[in-house]
Amino acid sequence: MTEPINIRTLEPGTRIALVDGATAEIVSNPADGVWVFARCLSSPDDAARVGSEEMIFAQDIVEIRTAGQ
Amino acid sequence: MRATSEGYRPGLVNMAAGQISREIFVNEEIYQEELERLFARVWLFVGHESQIPKPGDYFVSGMGEESVILCRDRAGKVHVFLNSCRHRGMKVCRYDEGNTPVFTCPYHGWSYGTDGKLVGVPYFREAYHEKLDKAQWGLVEVPQLSFYKGTVWACWDPSAPPFLEYLGDFVRYLDLTLDGWDGSEGGSEILGGIQKWRIPCNWKFPAENFCGDSYHNISHRSVDLVGIGPSGSGRRDMQERLMARRLHVAFYERGHQTGVYMLPKDRPTPPSYQHSSVVAEYFAHCEEERRRRRGEWARLIGSPGEIFPNTALHPRQPRTIAAWHPRGPHETEVWRWYLVDAAAPAEVKDFLRDYYIRYSGPGGMTEQDDMENWNYAHAASRGTIARRYPYSYEQGLGFETDNYEWQGLPIPGTVMDITEAKSSEHNLRNLYRRWAEFMEAASWDELATWRVARAAE
Repeated sequence: MTEPINIRTLEPGTRIALVDGATAEIVSNPADGVWVFARCLSSPDDAARVGSEEMIFAQDIVEIRTAGQ
Repeated sequence: MRATSEGYRPGLVNMAAGQISREIFVNEEIYQEELERLFARVWLFVGHESQIPKPGDYFVSGMGEESVILCRDRAGKVHVFLNSCRHRGMKVCRYDEGNTPVFTCPYHGWSYGTDGKLVGVPYFREAYHEKLDKAQWGLVEVPQLSFYKGTVWACWDPSAPPFLEYLGDFVRYLDLTLDGWDGSEGGSEILGGIQKWRIPCNWKFPAENFCGDSYHNISHRSVDLVGIGPSGSGRRDMQERLMARRLHVAFYERGHQTGVYMLPKDRPTPPSYQHSSVVAEYFAHCEEERRRRRGEWARLIGSPGEIFPNTALHPRQPRTIAAWHPRGPHETEVWRWYLVDAAAPAEVKDFLRDYYIRYSGPGGMTEQDDMENWNYAHAASRGTIARRYPYSYEQGLGFETDNYEWQGLPIPGTVMDITEAKSSEHNLRNLYRRWAEFMEAASWDELATWRVARAAE
């Protein structure tokens, strides 16, 4: 099990990996500790999601990606 | 139940005798009925537009016992929502005020836009299989919202008359609080934050006090002796009392009431705010402007009043609006907003801030006197024996006047001139008369009696 991520501290521009294998870039963060707004960068299950802006649930975020990942 | 089986009138609220049962202040079942029949049907003050100037701004307010969110959505539209998640009821906002793109429930994570729409549902795809109809599960929004000179009012009952109709001609007395002191339309703004505190008494104790209970002035004797007023004596500037007619004004069909001082024709308003030459000059100038703009109506100086049922007006010294939020039959949460002229110089606002908090609020010397009375009166009315004995509201019964006029200025409402009488309970009776009507009426069809009269004409 991965360590829980404190999503309140994630700045816009941060790249994240999601539990379903998708990746996304944070657009804005309401800092409620539950949701972030992010743009989908890749989605192995659903290519149509790529480019769309979504609300991402905290428990769906499994990793913070560093630049180049 | 014993109390309600007697009927509200004449059993509990006996207008003919001027007597009111203590049960309506302390009885649990009456209180629960009050929440449904009164607070779910009336217009309630929820805040001021200046508290939410930008998109995403919100202020958590109250309607009856319930928490509501006053907010401005991203498009600039103002809403009032029940502060309760549709999933399991948790508060979606636990701050007093702020700015946010979403209201997120911390329990299971449902999230709502500032327009109230449900926008975030955890595991929407996985657990709900995308079948939950989000459009049906937005925040509960009040069906009626009204804005008047910066103030925001809300009503849960879609069949209630529009706010200005609810006010009737009483709106002219509300203007004494909301207009600029120079008579400019809606020239006031909120000063500082909102004071909130709880007191152990039924909400109707403070409500009736602010209807115009001038009989209790003796309670403030110590404050008057200290001289906290803005001219260094008394608790307020009171020179107008020496020359004005003192009136209690009630609106029978609406339940609103206020006190006013009515200056003689062609007499200037006495000087005030003598502790500061800058403030004194400011108000002297404003009085001149007010006379020019408002004419004869500027002869009126406001005094405490109440918009039915629980919004208190204090138009002058200090200038405030208070909401008496019920918190059970034995507790009230007071929220007090302070107002100043938006255009006033900073020195005037600072002076008024100091004076206001000296007078009102949990640390205010005058309001402390009031709270002591309400708290002990309530506690001493809860007992089995005490409840058997009604309160007396007989002052001035039968001495009310319609079509009151003095020196060419007619006064809207039913008036009790207390200049010689010193005091009356005319306005207090009006509060309970209307309260009883609400407790008995099945719907607004019975309550909007003025509509029936108008239709008959």
